[in-house]
Amino acid sequence: MRVTKGAQIVTATALLALAVAACGGSGDTSSSSSGSAAAGNASAVRVEIAEPQHDLIPGNTTETSGAEVLNALFVGLVDYDADKKPFNRIAESIESTDSTTWTIKLKDGYKWHNGEPVVAQNFVDSWNYTANGANAQEGNYFFGSIAGYDELNPGEGKTPSATTLTGLKVVDDKTFTVQLKNPFSGFPTMLGYTAFSPLPKAAFESEGKLKADFGSNPIGNGPFKISKPWKRGTDQTISTVRNEEFKEGKAKVEAVDFKIYTDLATAFNDLRAGNLDIMDQLPAEAIATAKQEFGDRYIEQPSSGIGYIGFPVVSGADYAKNADIRKAISMAIDRKTITETVFSGTRVPADDFISPVVAGYRQGACGEACTYDPAKAKALFQQAGGDKMSEIVIGYNGDGGHKEWIEAIANNLRTNLGAKVTPKPVEKFATILDDLGAKKWTGSFRMAWIMDYPSPENYLRPQFGSGGSSNYSGFKSKEFDDLLTKADAAKTLDEGVKYYQQADDLVLKELPYIPVYFYQTNGAYSQHVKNVKIDPFERIDLFNVEKA
Amino acid sequence: MGRYVLRRLLQAIPVLLGTTFLIFAIVYALPGDPLQALAGEKRVDPVFAAAMREQFHLNEPLVVRYGYYVRDIVSGNFGTTFRGLPVSTIFEGKFQVTFKLAMTALIFEAIIGVGLGLWAALRRGKWEDKAVLAFTLLLVSIPTLVSGFVLQLVLGVKFKQSTGLALFPVAGIGDGLRSYLLPGFVLATVSVAYLTRLTRTSLMETLRADYVRTAIAKGMPRRRVLGRHALRNSLIPMVTYLGADLGTLMGGAVITETIFNLPGIGQQLFQSVYLRENPVVVGIVTVLVLIYIVANLVVDLLYAVLDPRIRYE
Repeated sequence: MRVTKGAQIVTATALLALAVAACGGSGDTSSSSSGSAAAGNASAVRVEIAEPQHDLIPGNTTETSGAEVLNALFVGLVDYDADKKPFNRIAESIESTDSTTWTIKLKDGYKWHNGEPVVAQNFVDSWNYTANGANAQEGNYFFGSIAGYDELNPGEGKTPSATTLTGLKVVDDKTFTVQLKNPFSGFPTMLGYTAFSPLPKAAFESEGKLKADFGSNPIGNGPFKISKPWKRGTDQTISTVRNEEFKEGKAKVEAVDFKIYTDLATAFNDLRAGNLDIMDQLPAEAIATAKQEFGDRYIEQPSSGIGYIGFPVVSGADYAKNADIRKAISMAIDRKTITETVFSGTRVPADDFISPVVAGYRQGACGEACTYDPAKAKALFQQAGGDKMSEIVIGYNGDGGHKEWIEAIANNLRTNLGAKVTPKPVEKFATILDDLGAKKWTGSFRMAWIMDYPSPENYLRPQFGSGGSSNYSGFKSKEFDDLLTKADAAKTLDEGVKYYQQADDLVLKELPYIPVYFYQTNGAYSQHVKNVKIDPFERIDLFNVEKA
Repeated sequence: MGRYVLRRLLQAIPVLLGTTFLIFAIVYALPGDPLQALAGEKRVDPVFAAAMREQFHLNEPLVVRYGYYVRDIVSGNFGTTFRGLPVSTIFEGKFQVTFKLAMTALIFEAIIGVGLGLWAALRRGKWEDKAVLAFTLLLVSIPTLVSGFVLQLVLGVKFKQSTGLALFPVAGIGDGLRSYLLPGFVLATVSVAYLTRLTRTSLMETLRADYVRTAIAKGMPRRRVLGRHALRNSLIPMVTYLGADLGTLMGGAVITETIFNLPGIGQQLFQSVYLRENPVVVGIVTVLVLIYIVANLVVDLLYAVLDPRIRYE
């Protein structure tokens, strides 16, 4: 579903942050703006974000900055605990006997900021709106597994033949049912993401049409509410105050200000000077300083992204089609050195196709294939006839800060395998994807993936399943597909995970992609706050943040 | 005088048309598809792309598109970005921020540049003169990227960490005019060096003029000679430089604005070029050209004030 926006997560510079420059109102002291604690609410916790790409509409937000803000304003059906497993928030229960038809019951007592209760219709309205192709919402694809999605997204030049998903039915105020196209045991794990938030009645001007100003002054149902309308492109701060009526109790802090920066290095300086409280992304060059300077207040944890080297296993060059060669290449990559030097420790060596933030990840699952062993790698390479094959090409996009690590891998392969290697920069990543789609790209290529929802399925099916939406390697295995189907139809999440892991083992043996590194979340916070936690979606748990 | 101003303003119209068309052509000739930039690394959804091309006339020839653009501009509409934000919203407050920054820089420039230049000219050939020349050389050779980060770290972060006093804000514009001091100074550094040297040379020229010698021979106090005669006549090149510099500062404050997180037009311009938000780029450049034209006009009118021999009729 989602290939990472390299630019967004790969580089920590303003030049590549996919945000538009922010602006501080009228530009004088009376405006809301970033700066000293004097600005905005004096008691507010100040959080760094880049400018959200869109207005604050849950279904139209798929980037981390916007999701950060919406996570404070809205709560959804489920959230994720320390074991990465979903736990119910608004949902009383999410049940199914066949993993296809799901019955979702809601708890009492959750209210919108305008006082109305949260009802089943709010979820159905919101999902129908986002799933409707005519509304061009970024989160549209999240609803692809629900029955009726295809009628709402008929493709180019056609108008949707429906306005609602046939798979959604409101039973009563506290119950609705979801009919999926195919069984999927991991469905509840999807529901904690921003795109699945409900929307209040007040958001809609008429049936299926959002009010124009809702995105700048959203009415949410979360622990914080917006305290003054946010003008995108103008205001440098998004101000929120505590929702005193929140069902789960009051948040620990009175207010949160999201301060928009275009440059992480600048934000980090503001954090050090005490003008900012929490950053969940640090500039790479500041990692070493941050570890020293912040000590316990430095956060380092895995994030959901994985970086790969991929191969067109069906239509590629001779080396790309050969599983032994792929394994030899994988063993010749010195992941430890690359993550420590090229990425200054902001990435960690990868050893699975499932990220550590997801229940189902197994440390060392990749085994020998992902362990650096130049001697073995060379032996395997020669045994498979690698030295008689064409030179290895590694394609990457030149606009996302990938040059260094690709060059490092190329040097690994030259030194350890004696292979001829050509790194090949392309202007835009999409060019490589298009060429792969047209079977014109024969060499290897860089690839990365960020999860859409914390289920192993989201790492396996889109990338390696037959007809997967992002299956760029052309990998196809009936056994693999069957295992996924089995896992999807499982009765419980845990049983499903078992089959997903078996499918994972298959791909690890074949290595259509070579896992190179896991992305990490590096953050830090000031002395003014404590109990700062970051979830698998890289969202800060603002409900539990406290003043120190 | 009034007729002269009117004529100059009328002359600005073809200039504006020419420059905006050039920018328009250049921006749209950049390689790659602006719609692809919207989608990041995902493939562009064909339905969405078709609708966008329709809305922004991307299928029309360049000249036709430019025609649409001029038509909109004349009616005061700068259009919308590909992300659906009115361009005028993006401008809101941004020109103001950049203008304040540029003015702060200009004031620093004028005070330091003219002061140092004057001092060097009067101490011509002595060690003070040489020191000033060496100092300006140093200033010119430090890029703003370096001076910006160093000053931000030392005066913004370290100073506050060690004394607890937030003398200079690290970033943003939350402290009113104080927010502009540091970035203004950083932005001014390079120009200060030029202006110092310009002042020095220009004043030395004037000091050698006959009327200065006459004035001194008449026994006029030294201060009056300098102030009334020499300096006033030397101001013409400086004012020219400062006027032209205003335009440069407005458009060239990208790095400074980024370092200090000032939501100004330079930062916006860079972001918009990167994101291929062509309507914003063209809009900003249009306004910058206008500022240039007006600044030049003001400079020309100032000549008449400074030098009575110049008359515009």
